[in-house]
Amino acid sequence: MTWISKDWAMGGIIKGLIVTLKHVFRVGNRPTVTVQYPFERMKVQPRFRGLHAVDENACIGCGICETNCPNSTITIVKHNTNWYPQVNVGMCLFCGICVDVCPMNAMKMTGNYELADYNRESLIYGPDRLLFNKEVNK
Amino acid sequence: MLFLAMWTGDIMFANTYELIVFILNYIGIYDPIYNVFKMFGLEYLLRIIIVLVEIAVLFVFILLTIMFLTWMERKVVAMVQARYGPMVTGPRGLLQPVMDGVKLIGKEDIIPAKADRWVFTLAPFLIFIPALLVFIPLPFGESLIISDLNVGLLYIIAISAISPIAILMAGWASNNKYSLMGAVRAVAQDLSYTIPLALSAIAVVLFTGSLSTVDIVTAQSGTWFGFIPKWFIFLQPLGFILFLIASIAEMGRIPFDFQESESELVAGFFTEYSGMKFAMFFLAEYAHLFSVSAIVVTLFLGGWSIPFLNLIPATFAALVPIISLVVFVIKTYAIIFFAMWLRDTVPRMRIDQLLNLGWKTMIPLALLNLLVTALLMTAGVF
Repeated sequence: MTWISKDWAMGGIIKGLIVTLKHVFRVGNRPTVTVQYPFERMKVQPRFRGLHAVDENACIGCGICETNCPNSTITIVKHNTNWYPQVNVGMCLFCGICVDVCPMNAMKMTGNYELADYNRESLIYGPDRLLFNKEVNK
Repeated sequence: MLFLAMWTGDIMFANTYELIVFILNYIGIYDPIYNVFKMFGLEYLLRIIIVLVEIAVLFVFILLTIMFLTWMERKVVAMVQARYGPMVTGPRGLLQPVMDGVKLIGKEDIIPAKADRWVFTLAPFLIFIPALLVFIPLPFGESLIISDLNVGLLYIIAISAISPIAILMAGWASNNKYSLMGAVRAVAQDLSYTIPLALSAIAVVLFTGSLSTVDIVTAQSGTWFGFIPKWFIFLQPLGFILFLIASIAEMGRIPFDFQESESELVAGFFTEYSGMKFAMFFLAEYAHLFSVSAIVVTLFLGGWSIPFLNLIPATFAALVPIISLVVFVIKTYAIIFFAMWLRDTVPRMRIDQLLNLGWKTMIPLALLNLLVTALLMTAGVF
């Protein structure tokens, strides 16, 4: 007699159907949450970890970021008589340790997340693309 | 004048051929054309041309509907899941099916090395052509029917019984375990659900005493007590539910999509297909969805019949075939929307649950429904 205890009115299915119908007609607080990405973008939070940036005047080229980088992403290279970090974004895991360990607070992370490129060479961001001059900006 | 006669039902055309001939006669260009053909002794050629034009219009209509349905399916899924769906190609992504078609035509047509080439190539055609042939005895509106067969319903059930064979051919010829398992499941499912489908259709046929789809639709015109449309859904509620469930299972849609079940078998019986052959399976699936919904509407929801004909002013009499077509399409899209809505709500069943439901529940219920209907008919209640 197990068949008698079955839900013959299909109550569970009807309940689910009502929930999905509410979604279709946007009954209650059920907004469309996706963003039409190339045409509109989500707001980037201030602590977002995107592409690096290095303060040209603050950086002393000490290499602490290089030694602490878990993926060996950073190498210190010479750029206009001074030593600056060079980041291979293709290997970077965006952990932010280089920002934390920097003794001069020269390393920053920007909100730029559109880093896809056509070849691996152009993923290596040298000082020419990373440096920013805080004083000039002021 | 002419359309007023059609309005009151004085003139009813058996099929679209007679409608076209009548309109050509009415405009006054049928006789000159006929004489030209008669000059060369080719009267039959004119008949063939008119029928071919009808079929071309029907197939274009169906292909456009299929394209629209693929778009609609994606939009409905997106709405349920709080997304936008296709938005970029065309207004609200309406041209997305065109881009999908272009993409699929551009793809490489791969035949596996150990496949049975001839059967592998034949299977998509064998599944696509019956999906289109089903529409021939379906009335889309008043006199908008290619051919009013007196065995229309039998023809529809017989033609849709070809698709398991094509699925089995596709699964076997692919020489792939997933394809074969999908095909075997699909055949088991189709065979067990065709029986309740046919049994609940027979209960409708008991009312009309005719297998012709036009007779079934005309039996459902008019109202009871002036406000309830004379649809068979009110006489056959159990039959309607059984027919709807069985036809969704026949379509192979969630919750009965065992032939495809992408989380268990890669893509079921069309795992190995690509390019245009895959597109034909895809199109056949949506043609099947449309045809099955149209059959549900024809059998249980009154087809193209307009229940409240007297409410429409007689000045719009010329629009009767168009209104009936619109009514039919609206009803069909309601059923299609239900199928899509169900697809987005419920998960897939298990194969043993499916067969248990089919054999232990639906066939006894369909037989019971048939028995009660026959008893009531014999007692003279209807």
